[in-house]
Amino acid sequence: MTSAPAANPTSLSVAERMARLLGVVPWVVEQDGAHLDDISARFDYPREQLLEDLEQRLFFVGVHPFTPDTLIEVRIEDGIVDIQYADWFSQPMRLSVEEATRLLAAGRSVLDMTKGSGRGPSGDEDEAAPLVRALAKLRLSLGSEGADGADYVEVSLGNAPSHTLHDLRRAISGRLQIKIEYYSQGRDAMTSRVVDPARLLSHDGVWYLFGWCHRARAERVFRVDRIRTLVVLDSAAEVDLPPGPSPTLSIDSVDRTATVRLAPGAAWAADYYSAREREEHPDGAIDAVFAVASESWLARLLVQLGPQAEIIDVHEAIDPDLRAATAARMLERYRR
Amino acid sequence: MDKFERLLNLTAALLHTAHPLSAGELRERMAGAYSEDKAAFRRMFERDKADLRAIGVPIEVSTLYRLDPPVDGYRIPARAYVGRDVRFDPDELAALHLATNLVRLEGGSGAGLARLGGAASAGAAGAVEEVGELPFHDSLGRLVAAAIGRREVSFAYRGAERRVEPWRLSFHRGHWYLVGWDVGPSEERMFRVDRIASEVTDLGDASHPVGEGPDPRTLRPWEFGPGRPVEVRVQVDADQAGWACHRAGVDGERQPDGSVVLTLQVRDAAALRTFVVEFLEHAEVLDPRWLRDEVKAWLEALV
Repeated sequence: MTSAPAANPTSLSVAERMARLLGVVPWVVEQDGAHLDDISARFDYPREQLLEDLEQRLFFVGVHPFTPDTLIEVRIEDGIVDIQYADWFSQPMRLSVEEATRLLAAGRSVLDMTKGSGRGPSGDEDEAAPLVRALAKLRLSLGSEGADGADYVEVSLGNAPSHTLHDLRRAISGRLQIKIEYYSQGRDAMTSRVVDPARLLSHDGVWYLFGWCHRARAERVFRVDRIRTLVVLDSAAEVDLPPGPSPTLSIDSVDRTATVRLAPGAAWAADYYSAREREEHPDGAIDAVFAVASESWLARLLVQLGPQAEIIDVHEAIDPDLRAATAARMLERYRR
Repeated sequence: MDKFERLLNLTAALLHTAHPLSAGELRERMAGAYSEDKAAFRRMFERDKADLRAIGVPIEVSTLYRLDPPVDGYRIPARAYVGRDVRFDPDELAALHLATNLVRLEGGSGAGLARLGGAASAGAAGAVEEVGELPFHDSLGRLVAAAIGRREVSFAYRGAERRVEPWRLSFHRGHWYLVGWDVGPSEERMFRVDRIASEVTDLGDASHPVGEGPDPRTLRPWEFGPGRPVEVRVQVDADQAGWACHRAGVDGERQPDGSVVLTLQVRDAAALRTFVVEFLEHAEVLDPRWLRDEVKAWLEALV
């Protein structure tokens, strides 16, 4: 997931400046003047860029025949911006369909987070809540006919039970430890652990909990939907995880690898499981090198893909006949 | 004149004019903004139009018969530019601003706020920690607009051209789904938005009434597909019973040994096999017999 990289984090593209300035002008006109600092904060417009765009650019904007009354007038005194003769820009431009949809999607996500479900069976959303009102207006601006209450966008950030999320939030904000029974797919077993929870994050439709695991004595990432039971303890969390950018969900630290030849029909697995390296063959097959955090993860992949995947090289600690050994073990159940 | 100033002037000129203007007339009216060279001017002008449209400026094109030969004329109708007069209260803007800080959409989410008048609390919101990330696709906006405007659209999907009346967009388990009426086969359907392989084209008013449609949030992978479902029973060992029930979205029947028997409605046998073998030796298909034999044969081929 990437957003457009900027050479300089504070520099805006021409399109971003346009989008902002076309919002700034009508707002300043309506306010009958506004302070540079307020405009900068309200429109997320770096002050230096804003000043330059007002004084060096907007000041020279006008229409034919460019007589003084057809040129925009921008005056800045003691930080107060005053804009005159901006008739064509005096009303805000409508939201583009994409912008409105982005806002709708972000808003629906937050409603999903706070209610556990984007579209409640009873539809009993608090109509007075500012966000609910704002989303209704967004739908109006997209052309909806009145308050039909229909949801055109619904978001589910993860299918974890809402009471689990609620308890996790309570523990994080109260800085309390939790005790969880967790299904570890890598280990293929239920484990019980005490965790100092630090942060909840929804990534690609799955809720993850980041925290300090006292069992592993290390920072760990847990899938919330694999937490089978959760108890918020009275004991205070002991380990502070440093705040910072989103923790990554990668397993780069793992040094055991397996090279798996994926038939063209299973080539998706290279992307899906973030292969470290890959080599493509002319027929579309891929040799993918996977980090193997646990043998049962690799076993599962191999029996799921079946004839479409084959180990061609593997770390010495892993059984090269893993697929056959796993299938044989599983078959015992079917021979009873 | 730099590009930013030129785009502002072009927008002003197109908004200001009462009747559409040709490219040549615009160049005259915007003295000094464009190159004297005709080909270079045309390239710049086309790029500027595309850039303005990309940020949502509605440039209208019509044919100018007053010129000989007739050429394209351009303007921005004020009504289309301003759109509906929808005013947002300060607390509504603040709520939207908070939402855009909590949830990161691929490609950003907050640009629209500037159009609405910015957010009064913008300066303070930097302290909020983001809690969710969503992918975003170019076609989502048009599909939502089509759903709201009750339009029929077409797009390429899995190698075929589809005609669809969108009802709603649903994000679930990492994917955006379009739910709506599939006009060709005349049935309710669900499409993965990331598999739409073309532009979304508007075909005019929708004609089929809006229905509920399938709900991607409750459908399991083995429930996708045509035809009537087959009832399948799967047994899962005690220590993974809870996780299995959760994954399958059913309660299951607890056995004395703590294991659980799940009864599932299956349309896609391969998807069910994938689900069952994920539990390795901790799960098995009980019946129907043919499906149990299929899983057995799958495993035997790997030994």
